[in-house]
Amino acid sequence: MAELQKDRITRGDFLGFGVMGVIMGGIITVPAAAFLLEPIIKIDVLGQSNVGDDWQEVGPVADVPVEEPEVFIVEFPLTQIYGDREIQELAPEVPRSQEDFTLTNAVWLSWKAPILEEGRLGNQANSIGEPEKPAFLEEKSEGFTPEEIREVEESLNILSNSCAHLGCPVRWITNVDGEGEFLCPCHGGIYDINGDWYGGPPPRGMYRYTQFEVRENGRLYIKHAYDVEEGIPGFSTQEPYVV
Amino acid sequence: MIGRLRSQTIETGKFLADWMEDRTGVVTQLEHFLYEPVPKRGAWLYTLGSATLFLITLQFLTGILLLFYYVPTTDHAWNSVYYIMNEAYFGQLIRGIHYWSANFLLAVIGLHMARTFFTGSYKAPREINWIVGVVLLLLVIGLAFTGYLLRWDQDGFWASVVGIKIGSYSPFIGPYVTHFLLGGDVVGPATLARFFAIHVWLLPAMIAPFIGIHLYLLRKHGEFGAEFEYTDRISKLHERQREEGYRQHEFEDDEEYDYDDELDDEGGTTHHRRDGE
Amino acid sequence: MTDVQKDFAQGRAAPAKPKDEEVITEENVFDRPDETMGFFPGQVYKDGVVATLLLIACTVLSYAAPAPLAGPADTASVDYVPRPEWFFFFYEQMLMFFPGYALIAFGAVAIPTVFIVLLFALPWLDRAPVYSPVRRPFVTIVGVLVIFVVLMNMLLAVSRIINFPGQ
Repeated sequence: MAELQKDRITRGDFLGFGVMGVIMGGIITVPAAAFLLEPIIKIDVLGQSNVGDDWQEVGPVADVPVEEPEVFIVEFPLTQIYGDREIQELAPEVPRSQEDFTLTNAVWLSWKAPILEEGRLGNQANSIGEPEKPAFLEEKSEGFTPEEIREVEESLNILSNSCAHLGCPVRWITNVDGEGEFLCPCHGGIYDINGDWYGGPPPRGMYRYTQFEVRENGRLYIKHAYDVEEGIPGFSTQEPYVV
Repeated sequence: MIGRLRSQTIETGKFLADWMEDRTGVVTQLEHFLYEPVPKRGAWLYTLGSATLFLITLQFLTGILLLFYYVPTTDHAWNSVYYIMNEAYFGQLIRGIHYWSANFLLAVIGLHMARTFFTGSYKAPREINWIVGVVLLLLVIGLAFTGYLLRWDQDGFWASVVGIKIGSYSPFIGPYVTHFLLGGDVVGPATLARFFAIHVWLLPAMIAPFIGIHLYLLRKHGEFGAEFEYTDRISKLHERQREEGYRQHEFEDDEEYDYDDELDDEGGTTHHRRDGE
Repeated sequence: MTDVQKDFAQGRAAPAKPKDEEVITEENVFDRPDETMGFFPGQVYKDGVVATLLLIACTVLSYAAPAPLAGPADTASVDYVPRPEWFFFFYEQMLMFFPGYALIAFGAVAIPTVFIVLLFALPWLDRAPVYSPVRRPFVTIVGVLVIFVVLMNMLLAVSRIINFPGQ
């Protein structure tokens, strides 16, 4: 092999390498980073969401029994890459699949049980009484007056099936003592009928939908928004994300 | 007739080999590769590393094959995997090999790592190779995690949900990790596209050069099996050291000079031997 | 005095192999194993045997136990029981032991990160030029403990999974 030849780097070379580095680095890295980090920019910086901001029907509230919760499947419109509605609107003349992409959520509805004694999260569960369903729902399932609507809204638990621990689907079971409870099958997180923490590793109660309204027709409508507890910012703020 | 044909074939073969050697040097390289001396006693133990390499190669091959049928969209991913399993010729075998060799891969990597750990093979001068090995382990775990979602079935889907949620507990960067992996704020088409890109291009493209470095470093420093490959030499060393200890008592004055001299000599021979390789 | 001279002085025959005349020091003792063989065919043959067995196992298993495919993903499922793959069992089980915000972050992210950093640092944590597991008991015990904890966690995970109602 030939001897190595190590020439001196002149000031011009140095500057030239610098300019090349800036141009190459700038063109290669900045657009690529923005391309990859688009979701972070859109969601965490601009505060957008992939889930459509419309009211979605859950179901008739009168169908929810007193003793145990009832699950409803709700479809939210989803705008994510090829599921984005805007694409279809931008190029309406191009024929292709017009399939709507949706995000389906399982929503647990139950009637609030009064909290007799406040527990302490991670230590002692709330002690609760019997769930209370508004009495007028026995007679009518629609055509509510504004007062009745408010009463229903105040006594409903609207819970996400995504476990607050690691997002597994939560189910309703009856335990050996004959008491019902929400159970997460992954790591055994348990919640009471109000969705509050009862046992196991979850750091909080089940996620509640925060935007909901009961309409005159006796049906519940919700938006895709949860009660995210502000913990230490960036450290313990948890969203149900994912679903 | 046959004899002449044979000799002609041999001639041609020799000519081709010589020609290739002249133009690329590949024959010498190949000989170095094939005839390097390796430790003999623990040969079966050292098949763990090559088994890992073999299984990763299987992953690459079957992975490329699966891509001919797999469709990474939320509405068709499951169907395409179902097609591979039930309709495609030998689809069950190709996907079965991809699945089972992935499982074996994780197990064999664990054994390979345990062997390296307990025989102390990570020590100088092989530290970098250990580090490259840990990087490879992490990459394989990443591949195992991202591959699970691609089927878009309940198993893979919910396991990925749990995995992403775990990522969301990372201090300070939790939401960013989650949104990066999800490609949005909820799981959807973008999530599958991202996991597909990571599983099929990003991680394999990263794992390939690291495998190359791992093998290059292995050959550079030679395989270090275990101490039992060196028992004779170690006992000789100890014997010599013991004798030197005796001499030290006998000639207190000359000892220092002798020892240094000897060391220099050895340094020279060792160096020379390495150059010769 | 070299080995040869010593042997000669003591009336012993010179060693059969001239290579053994090499003076073995702390530096070069691990340069070359006692016994070597050519990579080909010795090692390649053994590697081939293992590779062939693995390929046969993969082939047999892909028909005896086909790669699983559960029903299509359903975000609104309430009766599905998610389970990780077996190689994540120990990790998943570990998460059970860390309830609450701070502890989940600690168990799920901090501990694995520390463990990986320790793995990277291992060659510098254990630098003594001693290789046999018997002669560096501390490292060996730590390694055995790690494997023990991983296996026990896997066992716990398996027992939890098979005892789960409805499984």
